[in-house]
Amino acid sequence: MHTRHFILQFVISFFSIVIISSVVSATDNMTEVTYRLKWLFNTSVVGDLYTDTQGIFKAHGLDVTVKAGGPERDAIRELELGHAQFGVASADQVIRALAKGSPVVVIAQLFQVNPLQWIYRDTGTTINNLSDLKGKTIGITYGGNDETIMRSLLAKAELREKDVNLYSVRYDYTQFYQGKVDIWPVYVNAQGIILSEKLNDAGESVQFFNPADFGIQFVANSVVTSEKMIKEHPETVQMFITALLKGWEASLLLSNKDLAIQTIRQFDKDTVLNILEQQLEITRKLIKPNDRTLVGQFNIEAWKQTEAIMLEQKQIKKPVHVENVLKQITR
Amino acid sequence: MVLECHNISFKYPQSENDVFHNLSYKISEPGFNALFGPSGIGKTSFAKIITGMIRDYKGTINDEGLSTLLYTYNLERLPDWSSIGTHLKKIIPSDKNNQKEKLIDLFGINEIMGQRFSQLSLGQKNRINLIRYLLQDFDLLIMDESLANVDEITREKIILNIKKMFPEKFFLYISHNIIEVSKFCKEILVFRSTHKKPQTVSVNGQNLQLDEKIEKELLEKTMLEIMNVS
Amino acid sequence: MFLRRIYQFLMIYFIGLGVLLLLKYGLNLSNYVIPGLSEIYSTGTTEFARYFNDVVNTLSVAIIGQIVAVCMALFVGIIGRQATWFGSFVKVAAYNIQAYPIVALAPIIFILLGDGFISRLLIAAMICYFPLLLSIIGIMSEPITDVEHFYNVTGKMRWQLEVKIRSFENLNKLTTVITGSATLAMAGTIVAEFIAANAGIGYSIRIALYQSSLSKILAALFVIGITLSVYQGLLEWSGAVIKKGWASSGGPT
Repeated sequence: MHTRHFILQFVISFFSIVIISSVVSATDNMTEVTYRLKWLFNTSVVGDLYTDTQGIFKAHGLDVTVKAGGPERDAIRELELGHAQFGVASADQVIRALAKGSPVVVIAQLFQVNPLQWIYRDTGTTINNLSDLKGKTIGITYGGNDETIMRSLLAKAELREKDVNLYSVRYDYTQFYQGKVDIWPVYVNAQGIILSEKLNDAGESVQFFNPADFGIQFVANSVVTSEKMIKEHPETVQMFITALLKGWEASLLLSNKDLAIQTIRQFDKDTVLNILEQQLEITRKLIKPNDRTLVGQFNIEAWKQTEAIMLEQKQIKKPVHVENVLKQITR
Repeated sequence: MVLECHNISFKYPQSENDVFHNLSYKISEPGFNALFGPSGIGKTSFAKIITGMIRDYKGTINDEGLSTLLYTYNLERLPDWSSIGTHLKKIIPSDKNNQKEKLIDLFGINEIMGQRFSQLSLGQKNRINLIRYLLQDFDLLIMDESLANVDEITREKIILNIKKMFPEKFFLYISHNIIEVSKFCKEILVFRSTHKKPQTVSVNGQNLQLDEKIEKELLEKTMLEIMNVS
Repeated sequence: MFLRRIYQFLMIYFIGLGVLLLLKYGLNLSNYVIPGLSEIYSTGTTEFARYFNDVVNTLSVAIIGQIVAVCMALFVGIIGRQATWFGSFVKVAAYNIQAYPIVALAPIIFILLGDGFISRLLIAAMICYFPLLLSIIGIMSEPITDVEHFYNVTGKMRWQLEVKIRSFENLNKLTTVITGSATLAMAGTIVAEFIAANAGIGYSIRIALYQSSLSKILAALFVIGITLSVYQGLLEWSGAVIKKGWASSGGPT
């Protein structure tokens, strides 16, 4: 009798300890999530890094592992495989994934202006109208977004492929330096600055050709998550996007410039300060073109146009109505 | 013409002990002589020293008048990309064609001329190899177990005919067969185990010629003599 | 011989595909992560002709690269087989350089030579050159004493004969090495195309990756595998034919 009593007491106290400790650890342990970026750590992801390093995620109860992206990384695949809960993907990736039944949801559009533009020397080349592209040697990455965008531009200008010289582009800019290619695709907030800096040093000045100026809006990086996250952990999604957009807003404030630069430098040690500062300035214009723009807001017309372009170029077989998966989360 | 080795000492690069020490040996006239002794005693090394294949030995060799000294051994192979006949045609000077035909006949290998070397039996391989050496220009030929896999009757026929056909040449025959060396060789240099002094002893053999009969007693005497000095 | 290689490849390919599909249906993944069987099939049929052309393009670069590599390796192997100081120098240099990762040099090659045919050829050749060289130097500097002795002592040895003897005696090894290096040459060319070229299957895979299209990549892998199997089968077969021909024609001594 006595023994039985002892055992009962032991069992009760054992489970109490287990339960109490799990409750304590649950309040102590924040929600752990992984956030997969699209590209390597550089100025383009300043807001993502800032939110993390300035403890904004933590302040919202999140323990976020921010992972760099790269050419072979695909955040949407990782969402589905459960390797990440949030990620950054370009609009064309989202649309392609939707076309193949991936349960992806877009919760913020980071770039209001696509950084993918074309650089050209302003001596000899002027592009005031799309018809000015005629006869030019145009660099494109076959299979890349720039090919899609350029083909839309050419279609819009009613130019055929034989009216221009398309030149296959990779990482090496020699052909552009040598003047063999007239206009060369770059990310304006990354290589664009480095290239113009180099050409300026050589006494040449450059211009950028922005497709958006000619009516082609092709959405770039956006924050994505899975349908499952939205359904099963809406509060985590809410906290994540609130923190992230707060972090992005803060990183772009002029008053926080030094802190933002310092943040990037922790991760990107190869880019010199002068370039970083210029990159940050351009990035600001791409993400928050004016004071009225809220970081992360959707340009639904641009999304629709992106889908329309892809449909037209047969990159997807039928409409996916991408606007239906754009979920503006109230902060 | 003479082959004279004086105080030859030799050891392998990794080894501490000499294979042989202060070995002297002299052959002053053509004929069939032998190097005899157990395996590993240094017969092959000595043969290679004589033919210049081993150079880091001590002592002097005088081979005045012997311009070409060849060494052949029983494991040699002919390339397998053409037939025996084709090979022999290419490596034997045409002025020796008669000798070639005769040797092929005597060696009993007429029917294998169209075959590849790898298709032959060991004994056939030995004979083909020996023929090609016999028909090169040489003054001294060292035959290292060159007939090891040939049957006794054929071997006897071959040796006796070689002696008859090449009376002006020097031959050194390396063999483990005591009857054979006693019977056919003029002088037998017996290699003894390393701790015995002197390390080699010369024994006179019966030096049998073609169409001669051997006296059994004399042969036995030679054999006994070899056994005694070994 | 072709059939065996093709069977082997098909077996591995379909096992791999099976595992992928098992994962797909087991984890309920969308066609974006792993395409379904019908999509793979339809992509395969629509893209086959194009990818086949690309693979033939890549394979032709790989074959030329391999021929260049075999010739270079034979050349260096033949020089390096000699016991002279130059031979030893070539041998030591070859052994040391082979450790250098050629793929890391690829971007420099593309910058210097552009992204055309020559760069692809050079990278393909270099990638299969070093393993070939090691084997060929090994084969060429290893005397076949039992065969060579006669020619050496009778003064009949010529370098051509020596090379012939050593190649003939090691023909099986040479065939294996050359067949193996075909895979390397092909892989090298694909990697080169992937990095920077503007043609070939590596380039097409790169584009498929841009478009996140796994079904296209699977189709490309299929065509690569089949073509490579046939090529390797052909190499093995011709090795056997050469050996047979050599053994029966009675070549020069």
